[in-house]
Amino acid sequence: MASALRPNMLRQAFASPSARLISSTLPAFQPQQRFLLQRTPLALQQATFQTSAKRELLPPLPQRLQGTVNDAQILGEPNALHGNYHWTFERGLSAALLPISLAPFAAGSLSPVLDGAFIGMIIIHTYIGFSSIISDYLPSRRVPFWRKLFDYGNMLAVFVVGWGWYEFETNDVGLTEGLKRVWKAGSSTVPAS
Amino acid sequence: MALRLAARRMALAPAPFTRTFNRAMATTVEHTKEPLSAISEATSASQPPIPPSKTTTIQEPEQEANAKTKTFHIYRWNPDQPSDKPKMQSYTLDLNKTGPMMLDALIRIKNEVDPTLTFRRSCREGICGSCAMNIDGVNTLACLCRIPTDTAKESRIYPLPHTYVVKDLVPDLTQFYKQYKSIKPYLQRDTPPPDGREYRQSRDDRRKLDGLYECILCACCSTSCPSYWWNAEEYLGPAVLLQSYRWIADSRDEKTADRKEALNNSMTLYRCHTILNCSRTCPKGLNPALAIAEIKKSLAFA
Repeated sequence: MASALRPNMLRQAFASPSARLISSTLPAFQPQQRFLLQRTPLALQQATFQTSAKRELLPPLPQRLQGTVNDAQILGEPNALHGNYHWTFERGLSAALLPISLAPFAAGSLSPVLDGAFIGMIIIHTYIGFSSIISDYLPSRRVPFWRKLFDYGNMLAVFVVGWGWYEFETNDVGLTEGLKRVWKAGSSTVPAS
Repeated sequence: MALRLAARRMALAPAPFTRTFNRAMATTVEHTKEPLSAISEATSASQPPIPPSKTTTIQEPEQEANAKTKTFHIYRWNPDQPSDKPKMQSYTLDLNKTGPMMLDALIRIKNEVDPTLTFRRSCREGICGSCAMNIDGVNTLACLCRIPTDTAKESRIYPLPHTYVVKDLVPDLTQFYKQYKSIKPYLQRDTPPPDGREYRQSRDDRRKLDGLYECILCACCSTSCPSYWWNAEEYLGPAVLLQSYRWIADSRDEKTADRKEALNNSMTLYRCHTILNCSRTCPKGLNPALAIAEIKKSLAFA
């Protein structure tokens, strides 16, 4: 432990500003003036450490442990409906979306039933996707109100979007024909039918 | 209002005094408590003390001509001064006199420049997992990470991301270890071995554990996983799930169904969104994402 004898160490110690720069005889003024002198402004402290704009979304809470450090973490209750059934259904749905999105174009036939099934699957797929985002970023242990609000909002969106698609299917051309038109939009050779 | 102001002044007042006290070790004694000496100090025209760097006979070593000087920026935070923000401190080392690995650089800084720098290390060969930290933006073991020889680029060293920091580069892994305990990482059997001596395993069954048993629980993968950042309270994280699969895949274990059942809810396992940061960062070259996918697959077709 010879490091305290090294000159470069001592120089480092001397480089740090002395704590007694201002000697006021009035004790009431001493601490605050010194305080202001010693502390770099908060904005400067953050500027040296952080390069991007600061956004305090769900800032980390103080550390809190379940039980003692030697207790095992208590895992969530097993629930197949939210566990493996959900996951398998989700993946099956994603896989099924691929052929059903290509089938009407490949076959060239338009069936309202197929169209309806496609739309229904898209809605459920997006519902699962959004609920996954919500459970990732809005933990109910932290923001129970917002979690509930977003969960209900997600559910509401299913019905609103479903109703919109229903109107589009019954009163307009439907999804497949709509996509075909969007695909060819702007090309002057094909007249809009 | 006046009361609140007074209270604030009181709250601020102690801080500078404690600082003065802390610095007294390094600087000269600024005033004596003894009244007689205080008077003589006040009346005599004393000159400022000469710093030891000007009186010492020991000279600073000359910098060598072919020195390869590299700068390391290291995250510093001291729990003894909890009101101070974490800061980056810079150190320069001559790479010719330093070992090849980041851990060598850290040890050299601690030995020769700044003994207050704090980090965990033990085996210095990638088998204990103590020196896991975030080096140049990648979670890795300092003992397995070579110092980039390009001296123009500066290295930045942080503790593992999204962990509670104990001091400097030391993260608090309590939650990680509690989660490891929750998966019961030991052989669970009710029946005795058939030959009464040991639990035997075929070569093929043993081969299933390759790529799993090598995990040293350094927490590099778990702390690189965004899903684990957001939900560390409920999601187990890649390292612990890899260990869980190590026991699920073990042919000698008889509680495979229970182990899988324990993971079967929306948070514990299924917060994995196959981001694959875990496989990318693993300093041992393992594939936690594959293990998680195997658990999901075995649960899906159960």
